[in-house]
Order: sequence, then structure tokens, then C-alpha cells
Amino acid sequence: MTLKSVLTGAISSAVIAVALPASAETQLNVMTGGSQNMVEYVTDYLGPLFEEKYPGVKVRVTGTGPGDAGSQKILEKLEAQSAAGKEQWDIDVIVAAQKKTGEMKEKGLLADFRNNIETGKLVTRATAENALGVYVGGYVMPMFHSQTAIAYNPALVPNPPESYDELRAWVEKYPKQFGYNGIKNGMSGVAFVTGWMYTYAGDTKTLQSGPYDPAKKDTWAQAYADLKAFNENVTFTPGNAGTLDMLNRGEIVMGPVWVDMFYSWQGDGRIPPNLKLKLIAPGMPGQPYYYATPAKAANKDLAEKFIELATSPAVQAEGIVNRFNWYPGIDADHVKAALDEEVWTKLFTDVTPLELAQKGKPFPIGPYFDDIKEGYEKQVSN
Amino acid sequence: MSGQSMSVGPGRMGAILLVAPALLMIGFLFVYPFGYSVVSAFTDNGEGSWHIANFTKAIEFYSKDILFTIVIVSLSTVVIGVLAVAIAGYLTLGENPTAVAVLKWLYRWPLFIPFIVSAQLMRTFLAKNGMMNNILTSSGIIEPLAAQSYLDWRGIVITFVWKQTPFVALLVAGAMASIDRTTIDAGRIFGASRLRILIELVVPQIATTLMVGLILSYVVMLSVLSVPLMINAQSPTMLTVDMAWRINSYGDYGVANALGIMSYLFTGVVAWFYLRQSLKDKGA
Amino acid sequence: MVQAALSSTWVRTVTRVLTMSLLAFAIFGPITNMLLWAVAEVWYFPYKLPLEYGFSFWERVFRPEGNATEALFSSIWIALLTVVVSLAIAIPAGYALARGKMPFRYLIMLLFLLPQAFPAVAVHMNVARIFYGLDLTGSVAGVVLVHASQGLVFAVWIATAAFAAVDAELEAAARNMGAGRWRTFTDVTLPLALPGVMASAIFVFLISMDEFTGTYFVGAPDVVTLPMLLFTSSMEGNYQIASISSLILLVPSVGFMLFIERFLKADVLAKVGN
Repeated sequence: MTLKSVLTGAISSAVIAVALPASAETQLNVMTGGSQNMVEYVTDYLGPLFEEKYPGVKVRVTGTGPGDAGSQKILEKLEAQSAAGKEQWDIDVIVAAQKKTGEMKEKGLLADFRNNIETGKLVTRATAENALGVYVGGYVMPMFHSQTAIAYNPALVPNPPESYDELRAWVEKYPKQFGYNGIKNGMSGVAFVTGWMYTYAGDTKTLQSGPYDPAKKDTWAQAYADLKAFNENVTFTPGNAGTLDMLNRGEIVMGPVWVDMFYSWQGDGRIPPNLKLKLIAPGMPGQPYYYATPAKAANKDLAEKFIELATSPAVQAEGIVNRFNWYPGIDADHVKAALDEEVWTKLFTDVTPLELAQKGKPFPIGPYFDDIKEGYEKQVSN
Repeated sequence: MSGQSMSVGPGRMGAILLVAPALLMIGFLFVYPFGYSVVSAFTDNGEGSWHIANFTKAIEFYSKDILFTIVIVSLSTVVIGVLAVAIAGYLTLGENPTAVAVLKWLYRWPLFIPFIVSAQLMRTFLAKNGMMNNILTSSGIIEPLAAQSYLDWRGIVITFVWKQTPFVALLVAGAMASIDRTTIDAGRIFGASRLRILIELVVPQIATTLMVGLILSYVVMLSVLSVPLMINAQSPTMLTVDMAWRINSYGDYGVANALGIMSYLFTGVVAWFYLRQSLKDKGA
Repeated sequence: MVQAALSSTWVRTVTRVLTMSLLAFAIFGPITNMLLWAVAEVWYFPYKLPLEYGFSFWERVFRPEGNATEALFSSIWIALLTVVVSLAIAIPAGYALARGKMPFRYLIMLLFLLPQAFPAVAVHMNVARIFYGLDLTGSVAGVVLVHASQGLVFAVWIATAAFAAVDAELEAAARNMGAGRWRTFTDVTLPLALPGVMASAIFVFLISMDEFTGTYFVGAPDVVTLPMLLFTSSMEGNYQIASISSLILLVPSVGFMLFIERFLKADVLAKVGN
């Protein structure tokens, strides 16, 4: 074969490969922020399921990356289309984190759709109406809830700390053995810091539900000073997955992680099977991810159908709980009925439902959240 | 030489026409969108009037990171320059043909590895229980307890040097290959060591190429996000990480763009060197 | 005396071998590490090597739903197109900058440096807005334009060097023999400068293969490249998948360079940026 024929062959097959998706069938564009497991959930489970139910539709999934950064990229893409005055936007369904979804709603980038779908009645949790202080009722459907907790290696830490106070003492005794990812590299670190502020800055209730008082942040100096001292004995990890990875590589023995990622990694053999979780007192935050549809989605009806399927009790039971180890997005009693008792209890192996109810906290409202992060930047890491 | 090139090249109008597509492309795809960034740096988060609040906030929050960025990028540039000259110098002056051939084959590989992949490689390689320490402890070079993680500022420098040295070495080796060998041979006849020939005879002749290679590396390192993001989990960190953070976490384009403009100022410093050197060369 | 000379050669050989080994370790250590991760099934502390090897993660990357094959081909296709576009723009510009009477020549050269110098995070949303206005988003053309503007500094600087390296007397001779400007350019100048121009293609190709934020803002959801897929998994520390994607990304880059290597000539590289 001559070089030329190889090249022409390669180029023409590339052309075919690139041109193929633009064929006659309808394409439903789903853009999902969040970790790799979320992208896989939509790509491997939800997408094929929907295509099976609606022949002629091709679900195309784009992952935009974990944390607020991934959701921000969706927001920017919508905002760019809005600013360019486009009538039809190229994203039909979005999966985004709490804070950014709230911002999208405030900027008028989302559609009010919940009343159009059957499953809209199945959500009553506060987070379905309120995203960190922004009213989002009607504009979102929770995909799942997740929770942060402290992962540890029981072989090396037989008696893990039960609270932030105990953790502080432990870290002083065993410096550099506890690791978290700061606040710039993913939400598990942000969650850990938020839990710290709930513990030591006081007035958790106001932080979580307002009203906002800009002077409040001036009273947090001591909490930050203590955190700065705490950080002296901490190993920093490069991200949500980075913490898990360093646990896996034995570089730390304890660190805050997302519960769902923890179980998925354990299922994959990417962390040792003996690691366990502990939700420490007085509590650590968790958050839902939302499904929503942009205000000018090109395939509005299909998008609603997609979200309806995704939030149906059967899919929530099989996909969200059984396969991916998340806590369900719609109300639990609708999901529990569709599941084996065994699967349901597996979800609560290390963190019991009671603990979850007592120690699972929401993140603070937007402005306090920003204040907490800026305060950390200024007083802890600078 | 210059008189002749005038006679064969395009005239003033022709030259401008030929450069026009390239200029249009930069203008449209970069200068125009960049204009929005400049406006946002001087106006966002206020009442729409012009102000410098974003710059004062950027300095207040990220002064350490600004310093860190300058130090890391400058240090990396210097190390890259030294290593690139050493590699290219050996390729030009080396006396053992096997060693020269091996080196020639060897040094180029990282050039083809994208930044994001380099960062990924180094993250698993330099970690405390990563491959490097595993090999060092297994071979008894260091004690297992002495193993430490290089995933901090050293990791960034190592990754930058690993990735960018081949690029500069490639340019410099090309330049060295084409210089007039009579001076080198003269130096040898007079018994000068190869190191002295390299530093005193060869490097001055390829200084401009070296400078250009280093400027390109410097500028690229200044704007890479993936390396500091993936390698350096601590603070202080580099400005690109802070920019991404301002935007992603607070939706704050004002401060992010202010930081970007500051990093432009660092580029401005090297650009000034480039201009001065180029104009001096032209005058000579 | 002879003995001393012998032992000094011996010492030299040892140093040489040691230095080369050290360099080989520095360069191939990280790459080997990536190869190991690409076939590691289970690998956790304190094991120094993977516990199980296999290709299940390869199957995961190349599962039909994952679009990796499609992304790989669009990456290569886009990179090749980017090279063509960049060269088409850089050849006339480089010629003019090397030969023409250009006002503010060095300032213009510096201008091409700008897109490389500004951290991209803050500019891309504006680019996306402009592209939406022109209906260029979601198209290969849009992505190629964005990549080409990033790579233009390499293309233009190296092309300028390539044309400057061509001996002007040859052109003058052609003109004296009655060849027109265009003929002189196509028959004399361009063939002589071509090696250098092709060298710049390597850098443009690599930049295109490396780019992902611009691709997302201008290409997604319709155009997906491999670095975009790689980005999520790397940021996440999904080592196997990231290593596999990296490996795949490496193949076209190295292949392209082997193809282009014969064009790399010393005298051209000597003049880059001048």
C-alpha cells in the first residue's frame, strides 16, 4: 500500500466518522457536569434506555467536568447563545450542580417544565424548590442526592474520629495522614470546609436559610485561624478523585469524599475493599444534582420526556440507587417500593438513614457560600 | 544582502496584503473577544463605570500567587534554557557518534505529548508512592521512609521542563547545526575545552534562536491550566488556576480578567526583550 | 601514561552511559508509567506493580456509547485541517514578513504571540458568543478556526524563518532571467522554503491535538475531540481511562512527526523568530 492510499483511506474514513452522527434521526443533546461516573450514567444507562423507548432519537452526551467548573461551562454555553440572540439553543437537557443551576434560573436561561411531566409530583424535598437561596420550583428535577463523609482505612485507624473536634485532635497526633483537596479542586474539599464553618462559626441555621448579612463574615476570624493551624498537619490532594486515589495509594489514611464515588470506586476495585465511611458530627454537607431544560431548547418535548423517564421510580431505583449508589432524587418512598430490601440497605452500610437525617446538611445560601470561600482564600490559604 | 532581498520581495502594499489574512484572523478570533475581557476587567462588579477595583482585589487576594507564578515560570525557563543548550551542544560537539545518535533519538519524545497528558503522567509518576519513588526505594537509592511527594511547586517545574525542553532543544540544535564551523574548529585547535567552546563560541551565535524558543515556552507555560491544576494541589498556585476559580466558583469575570491582564504584563516584559534584541540584531 | 589515558576513556564511557541512562529514565519513566496504568486492572497500595492486568478499561473506552473512536477520528481530521488552514495563512504572511518592506514588522510578529499568552478560560465565552452569532458553532470549520488562531504564532514565526533562510540571490537570478514574481515564488522560493514550512506543521498539529476548552465552547455538542473526553477523566483522576486516551492521542502525534521529520532542516530552525 502506498502512503497516499493509506492517507486517503484514513481521511475518508475520518470524514465518514465525523459526518455520521448528523444523519436523519433526531439528536437529543444532553450536557452533563459532574464526575466521570455521572457522564457514564447518562451515556451507558439512561441514553440507551431512552433510545430504546423512543426509536429514531439519538442521545448525545457531553461531559463538561466535575464541580462547579463543569456546570459553569454549561452556563457559559447557554449564556453565549442567549447573548448572540439565538432562537434555538443546541442543548436540550442539562445536568448541573446546585449553585450554578440557581444562577442559570436567575439569568432566565432555564424553562419552567416540572408541571408538564408526570413525575413532577414525586418530589417534595426542600432542595427541589430552593437551590442555595434561589427559588427553582418548577425549573428543576433532582437527579440524585449525594453526601460527603470521611473515608478511612480501618486497618490503620481502628477508632475513627466521630466529630470535627475529635478529628482535630487526631490530626495533631498523626500529622499529614489526613488529606483533603482544599477548596479550589472539587466539591468534597469545599464540603469539608463548609462543615468546619458550620461547626466553628456558629449560627448554622442562618447560613443555610438566610437572611444574608454581609457583616456576619467578620465574626469568623477564629474559625479560619483554627483551620489554618489544622491545615498545617494536612496533606493536600488534587481533587475529589485525588483524595480517593491517595487513599488507594496509601499516601493518606483518611479524607473527605463523596459517598457515591466511594462506593463506585470500591466496586471497580480502585480502592481497597476494606475502606469505610464515617459521617462526622455535627455534620457535613451534601447536594443534589439537577435535571433541567434550557429556555430555548430545540427539542423541548423530547427533553421533558427524557427527564420524565430519568426521574421515574423504576429508573431511579435501578439506575440511581442500584447501579450508581446515589441517594434517590425523587422522594425515597416512591423508590424504595421498586427495590429489593437488600439493595436499599447496601446504600446505608456505613452511613445509616438516621445519621443521614441528623448529620446530612445542605450547603449555605449563595452569598454566605461565596463569603466562606473568599474568607478561606484570604485568611487560610493566602 | 538586505538590498537584494528588497528587490525580490513584495512591495509595501503587497506585503501588507499578504499579511492581511493572518492579521484578520488574529484580530477577529482573538483581539475582538479579548476586548470584552479588557472591558470586563475595568468595569465588572461595579455600577458600570470604569474603575480598578478588580485589580486591587486581585492583588489583595492573589499577591502570593502572582509572585509564585513569576518565580515558577522564570525558574522553569532558566532550567529549560540550560538543558536545551546542553542537549543541543552535545548533539553539535559530541565526539561519540553512538551517544549522539542515542541522544538525538531520545530527547524529542516529550515534545509530542500534550500538556494535559504530561500532567497526567507526572501526577502518577511523582506521587509519594508513585513509580519514581518505587524505583528509587526498590533499588536502594533512598530509604522508603525518606520517600516524599513531588506534587507541589517542584512537580510543576519538573513537568514544564520535561515537556518544553525538547521544543527549545530542537530549535537550538537546528541553529547550532547551521553555524559556521570554522570558529569551532579554530577553538579546538587552540585546545579550548568543549564546554568553553559551547559557552563562548556557540551560544552567542544562536542567542536569538534560544531567546525565541524560551519566549514561546515562557508564554505557553504562563497560560497552561492543566499542569498546575492537576499537579499542585496546594496554595500558592498559578494564576491560571485562580482565573478558572474566580469564574467557576463566583462567576466573577472581572477579577479573572484582571488577573489575565496581569499575566499579559509578564508577557509584555519578555516581548520587550524580544523587540530590543531583534532591533539590535537588525541594526548590526 | 597509556594506562592513565585508558582509564580516562573508561571513565568517560561510564559517565556517558550513566548520563544517557538517567536521561532515558527521566524521559521514558513517566511514559512507562502511563503504559502500565493503561493495562492495570487493579492497582492499589502498597503494591508497586498492578495486581491484575487486562484490557477491560480499553473495552470501556471503546464501547460504542463512549464515542472514543469517533472522537479520535475527529481529532485527527481537525488537526489535519488546522494544519492546512494555518499553512495557507502563514505562507503568504511569512513570505511578506521575511521579504517585504513591512512597517512595524516586529510588532506584527509579536501580535501573533498574543493568543498563546492569554489564559484561555476568560476569553472563550466571548469567542463562543461571536461564533454563535455567525452560526459557526457545532461545526468542524469553527473548531478549526479556533485551533488555527492558537497555532498561528508557530506557523507564522517558523514560515518567516523558512523564507528568510532562502538565499535571496537565487530569487534575484530567477527574476533576471525573466521569471515573473509569481513564477519566482512558486518555482524557486516556495520549494526552498517548504521544509521549514512543513516543520511548523508539527507544532500546529500538536496544538490542535492538545486543545480542549476552545473545542468545547465552539464544537460541543456536535463536534467532540479526544482531549475533551480525556479532560473529564484526567481531572477526575480516572487513571486507566486517562492513560489509555493519552496513549491513543500519542499515536497520531508521533506518526505525524515521523512523516514530517524528513522536512526538518537545520538552517531553517536557525532563523525562527528572526
